[in-house]
Amino acid sequence: AVGRVLRLCRRWGAGPRAQTLRLICTTTAVHRKNAGASGPEKYTEAFIKKQIEEFNLGKRHLANMMGEDPETFTQEDIDRAIAYLFPSGLFDEQARPMMKHPNEVFPEQRKIQWGEDGRPFHFLFYTGKQSYYSLMHETYEKWLNVQKHQDQLIAQDLPVQKEKRNLAGSRWLTKIELEEILLEKVSDDDYSRFIKLLQKLVALPCADIEDKYIQKFSREVPVQLQKVVIEPLQYDERGVAFSTGEGKRKTARATAVVYDNGTGKITVNGIDILHYFPVLQDREQLLFPFQFLGRIGKHDTVCTVSGGGRSAQAGAIRLATAKALRSFVTEKEVEFMRQAGLLTVDPRVKERKKPGQEGPRRKFTWKKR
Amino acid sequence: RIMPVRWSRYNPSYLEPEVKKESYQRPLEELSEEEREQMELKTVRPIKAALPTLSSSVFSDPMISKFTNMMMKSGNKVLARNLMSQTLENIKRKQLEKYHKAPENEKDTIECNPYVIFHQALKNCQPIIGLSSITRGGKTYQVPVPLTDNRKRFLAMKWLITECRENKHRRTMMPEKLSQELLQAFNNEGPVIKRKHVLHKMAEANRAYAHFRWW
Repeated sequence: AVGRVLRLCRRWGAGPRAQTLRLICTTTAVHRKNAGASGPEKYTEAFIKKQIEEFNLGKRHLANMMGEDPETFTQEDIDRAIAYLFPSGLFDEQARPMMKHPNEVFPEQRKIQWGEDGRPFHFLFYTGKQSYYSLMHETYEKWLNVQKHQDQLIAQDLPVQKEKRNLAGSRWLTKIELEEILLEKVSDDDYSRFIKLLQKLVALPCADIEDKYIQKFSREVPVQLQKVVIEPLQYDERGVAFSTGEGKRKTARATAVVYDNGTGKITVNGIDILHYFPVLQDREQLLFPFQFLGRIGKHDTVCTVSGGGRSAQAGAIRLATAKALRSFVTEKEVEFMRQAGLLTVDPRVKERKKPGQEGPRRKFTWKKR
Repeated sequence: RIMPVRWSRYNPSYLEPEVKKESYQRPLEELSEEEREQMELKTVRPIKAALPTLSSSVFSDPMISKFTNMMMKSGNKVLARNLMSQTLENIKRKQLEKYHKAPENEKDTIECNPYVIFHQALKNCQPIIGLSSITRGGKTYQVPVPLTDNRKRFLAMKWLITECRENKHRRTMMPEKLSQELLQAFNNEGPVIKRKHVLHKMAEANRAYAHFRWW
C-alpha cells in the first residue's frame, strides 16, 4: 500500500510510450495552458484509464491507512493525509508531494490517435487538424439537411417560416473556447471560416430544425446595464440629497459630490471652475453630463481632483459627475448616458517609447550611409 | 505594466458613442428595422468613452472639431480653438453688417448662422473626382478616380488651410483671412473653388486613362 502511494509520487519519465512511471506530482495541471498548445500526443486512452484505476485503489488504501472510511474520502482528506505522511519543507507548494486525480494532472490533451499497428482511428487524421475538419464537415451536412428540408417544403407548396432569431442577446464561441472543445490549435483564418459557415447556416429560413446543434456554439450575453449596481441617494444633515462618484482619466483621479436643490455652481478643490479651468473646452466637458440630462441649473457640485494635466482632470471630473448623477436619474436615462459614452473609463494612456526608435511611433532619421 | 502596442486600446467589440440628445428621444415606432437592430446591439455591447472634444451642447460640431484639429500645430489646441471661434465671430459680424445694409427684400437671402455658412462652404469646396498616380510600363499616369466621403472632406479642409496659411499678407490674422475664404467659398468664388475646378478639368483631360484603374 505504501509502495503504491510512493510509486504514485515518483517523477516524470520521458518518452511517449513509457507507461509505468507516470506522475502525479507534476505541475502541469496547475499551469493550465491553452488546450491545443501542448505537444504531440503522449498517452493512450487505456493508459489514462489505468491511471484512474490506480488512483482510486490508492485512495482506498490511503483511507485505510489513516483509519477513515474509504467510501467518503474526499480530495481534501487526501491532501491532508499526504501532507501528514510526507511532510516537506520545500517552499514551492507545487514541488511538494501531491496525489490528485489523473484528469487534473494530465492536461486535457488528445489521447494517442492511432492503434497498436500504427493505423490512425479517424479518417481525417492526415489532414493535421482532424477535429476542425470533421466539425466543418458536420456543420456543412447540417446546412445541406436544412436546404433539403426547405426544398421539400417548397415542393409541397407549404409556407417557409422566416422568424428572425434575436442575435443581440447571443454571441458565437470565442477562438479559445473552440480550441478547448476541439483540443487542438485553431488558426484565426480557420476560426473565421467556421463562424462564417455558422452564420450562413443561421441565415437560412428553416434553420430552426438544427437549433440544438447551433446552440452548442453560441453563448448568451447579458445586457450590459445589469452588470453595474447603482447606489441609492444619501441625505446629509440639512436633508439635501447627495451622491458621490469617482472618475479617472490618464493619471488624474477625481471624486465628485453632487447635491440636489442647487444653483448649478461647480467647485473644484475649493476653487470655482471659471478660475480653475480657464479653457472653454474643459468647462464644456464638466457641463456635458448635466446638459445631456437637461439638469443644468438644478445641482451643486463639489469636486476634488489630483494628478494628470488640465484635460485629463476635466475628463476625470466628467466621469465622476456622470457616475454620481446615476443615482438621481431613471434606469432608462442611465442606459442613454452609457450609450453616449459618459460612463466608460477612457483607457487611452501615453504609449511607451520603444528601443531603437525615438518615440512611441517616430523612428530615427534614416541615413543612407 | 503591460501595454498593448500598435493597436487600439479598446477591445474590438466596443462601439462608437452617440452624443446627440435628439437621437435618444425618438419614439420606437419611428425607427426602421436596421435602427432597431442597432439599438438592440447597443444594449448588449460595451461603448467607448466620449472624446474630450465631443459634447451634447449645440455649440459642439464634429466637423468643426475636425477642422480645428487640422489647424492645430504641435498640439496647441487652445490656440486652434481660439482661432476657430474668432473666425466664426468674424463671419457673423460680416454677415450682420451686410444684413443691416441690405434693402428689405434681400434680407431673407442673407445667411447669418456661421455654422451653416461653414458647412455649405465646405460642401462647395469638395471635389467630386480625384487623381491618383498609377505607374504602368515605367511611365506614371494621373488617373481619374472616385473619392470617398472622408477623402473629399479632408481635401476640402486641407485646401482651405493651406490657402489661408500661404496666400496672405504678412500682417493679416488667420481668423480674418479664413472668414474671407469661407465667405467666398460659400458664394462659389475664391481660390479654393478655383483649385477644385482645376482638379476637375485635369480629371476630364485624363479621361483616356480611366481604364487603368483596377479597383
